[in-house]
Amino acid sequence: MTAVAAKPQSGKIFNPAAMVVGLVLLLILVGVCYVIVPVDSRIMVLMVLIGIIVGGVLIGFGVHFVPVGGAPAAMGQAPGIATGVAMLAAGAGLAGLFGGAWAADQGLLIAVITGGIGGGLMMAVTCMMVNFVYVFGMGIPAASGKVLKDPITGDSQPEYKSQGTEGHGLPFVSFVGGVIGGILGGAGGTLIYIELLGLYKATLPTVMNASADLVLPIAIATAGMFAIGLFLVNAVLTAYNITGTIEGPHDPKFKRWPRSVVASAVASALCGLVAILIVVL
Amino acid sequence: MSVKVEVIEGGIPHTKIMIGGLVATIVCLYLSYLNVVTNTGLFSFFGGLAVVAALIWGSNTIKVLCSYGIGTGVPSAGMIAFGSGVIAMLLATKFGIAAPIVALVLAAVIGLILGYLANEVLNMKIPVMIQSLTELAVVGALTLMGFAVLITGSFTFTGLTTGSITLFGMITMPSYQVSFIGGGLVAVAFLLGSIAVQHPFNACLGPGWKQDRMLMLTAECGFLSMIVAAVMSFALISAGAAIISLLIALIGWVYTYCEYIKLSKRDAFAWLDAKPIPDVEGH
Amino acid sequence: MEQIVFGIGITALAGALATVAGSAEDTESNIGSQGDPNSQVQLAPQMGFVHRIFNKAVAGEPPAYALWCALGAGLAWAFLAMHVNAVLAIILGSLLAVFVQGIYSTTAYLGRTASLAKFGQPVYVDILKSMTTVAMAHAFVAIFCTVTICYLINAALGHPFPLPLLGFIWGIALGAAGSATGNPFYGKERQYQNQKFGAGVPISASGNIVRYAEAGERNSIDNGYFTAKFGGPASGLCFGLIVFLELWRTILFEKVGAGWGAIIVGILIILVFTIIDRYMEVWARKNYGPYTAPAKEA
Repeated sequence: MTAVAAKPQSGKIFNPAAMVVGLVLLLILVGVCYVIVPVDSRIMVLMVLIGIIVGGVLIGFGVHFVPVGGAPAAMGQAPGIATGVAMLAAGAGLAGLFGGAWAADQGLLIAVITGGIGGGLMMAVTCMMVNFVYVFGMGIPAASGKVLKDPITGDSQPEYKSQGTEGHGLPFVSFVGGVIGGILGGAGGTLIYIELLGLYKATLPTVMNASADLVLPIAIATAGMFAIGLFLVNAVLTAYNITGTIEGPHDPKFKRWPRSVVASAVASALCGLVAILIVVL
Repeated sequence: MSVKVEVIEGGIPHTKIMIGGLVATIVCLYLSYLNVVTNTGLFSFFGGLAVVAALIWGSNTIKVLCSYGIGTGVPSAGMIAFGSGVIAMLLATKFGIAAPIVALVLAAVIGLILGYLANEVLNMKIPVMIQSLTELAVVGALTLMGFAVLITGSFTFTGLTTGSITLFGMITMPSYQVSFIGGGLVAVAFLLGSIAVQHPFNACLGPGWKQDRMLMLTAECGFLSMIVAAVMSFALISAGAAIISLLIALIGWVYTYCEYIKLSKRDAFAWLDAKPIPDVEGH
Repeated sequence: MEQIVFGIGITALAGALATVAGSAEDTESNIGSQGDPNSQVQLAPQMGFVHRIFNKAVAGEPPAYALWCALGAGLAWAFLAMHVNAVLAIILGSLLAVFVQGIYSTTAYLGRTASLAKFGQPVYVDILKSMTTVAMAHAFVAIFCTVTICYLINAALGHPFPLPLLGFIWGIALGAAGSATGNPFYGKERQYQNQKFGAGVPISASGNIVRYAEAGERNSIDNGYFTAKFGGPASGLCFGLIVFLELWRTILFEKVGAGWGAIIVGILIILVFTIIDRYMEVWARKNYGPYTAPAKEA
């Protein structure tokens, strides 16, 4: 892809003024929620909004762990999985949301952890099969291009990197990163879903003037759609943060995570506020 | 519907397309309100036309944004557009006849904040980022609203959440499960729109990019999405209304697809059928 | 007890369908050359290597398959709401979704190739005519199987999500799993078949994809044939394991330990896969050996 105008190189990574503005925005949004909601349900709604923010931050932070190599990885030129980061994270997180939604009746804690395990399971299987293809289908061992020794296992990396490439496959730290990313993403998505589902189950019967059983499909489908929409927004924001590719938690780009946490928190607060206003207004 | 057809001169400035697309979309959405006035579903096809208009605007915005080499692919822009758009659209449907305007304002606010976050907090520092993300969020919300109108005949919260099921072919009962939101069709509309908005730029990417070819492809994607959405609408609105939408979509699609092939023939280096690879010197 | 046996039967069926779906998905995306390896197909003419490969640039596999599967599921849902028989509804839904997929493929090829006119890359109409239908056939298999899985999960196993939402979720998971597993195999082994086996492609060779091969000028059906030998089954295994294990641990263990049973089993499965992965990594290092002598500690 040829760029019309190259992005100007930014000198320092963090923009402290913007981070502060972001945090102020976050507080304003929470405050607006507190003020608009009628007094008797204030605490419950505030907990829902906090839950959504925490879920969004988990997603945004978790995506940093997922090892994505992009187009060069598809040729064995870079380590990581050869898919787009937002979409791979969305795949794992939504598989986790699937499991978490099924366990929704068993309480918040179990549902969120089940969602996390679902996402982690998908990433574990996928990462293992990626290495399987590299080792047995292509005859290439895994090697990282960013560190001299794998931080977890201590294996040395440079001599297992083929000539002219930046590394290939999934070294163990990338595998673990992928699983952690799947767990955090699945847990975050499920948390958002469960919070919204609880809110809608409690308030939609009065808003729509119908019995709780009848509006259950609406509550589930709306909460599910919001969870997916929020998931994609957070995943894409994180993809912008890491500019497309990252090797895993050992990559220097990982240090950019504070930016993403602030951005995800504000984005989730904003979207969560809108989701809450559907039943409040 | 001249906005979709007059894309002959390449290089229409983005502001013109933005204003044209916005006006056409809002007008089409309000024309569909004739459904409520006449108490039928016959004007639902205006929702599909609103979708085409919004997509044309959106694809040009994606072209403006992604020309700056943002590092991730083009599809992510479509996803964030519709991710923010669906949230705005669902709240906006609660405002009755003002829903399209509320969706526009709300999505613009969400897009503005997301653009600020991406540009300043995430330090991307792309000149058009804030404006583009704002426009994309609005495009997302209005496209989804257009799909909602096409499939259910209305853009109000009640219309999107209620349907009816027929028991024993005779007794009809209200059911929340057979509805746009309750049945999850909003997810299908989400994906139809997000792939359709990023596909034209993604597919016409390259040194030989031409604006009229891209916009014709956008119209074709819009009408193609309208075809399948019209098929889905058979479950929720009367068969007559759905057939009207389907026919308009088919005619629009066939026309735009043939035009697109003609434009591709015009721009291609060569149009070969079962010929070998030409000898290029040195390779 | 009967409930669990029924659930296990459905799980086994879903696992088998998922394996077929994953395999068909990867074969289809390699026939069309979709996703990250497609960047090389796009790059090759710019480096002077004109080719006869189908340049299908329809987003990446996860969002594209999310759309086809959600569309298939949404259409099936609409037909079900009109009281059409379930199997017929799924077939019709998948058919219409495949029609959309085919149209998107053709417009992508025409668009990308027409935009490469500056480098002398012609539009080969016969490639368009012969590859599109083959890709559509494989996509139909993948979409049909995935929509059937979603229908089974919704109707037989009682998942609360409506059918289109399940189609979205499993479509994006299918695309992610198939893309992750199949892309390196297609990108490195097939596109760069002329490079040495057992090493990644050096950056200097970018764009120099194989264009003349065993049966004359290579086209994408040759790539599909190649994928079906290893990449396709591997992707199928990946997605099949994901679906089967996710359903299996939920059906069997969700009532055990008030929900914690399924979680513990899930953690155990993740640990098993971690051990397998570590074993493979160590095996490769031991048996393949390093490319160069280890650098001396300075």
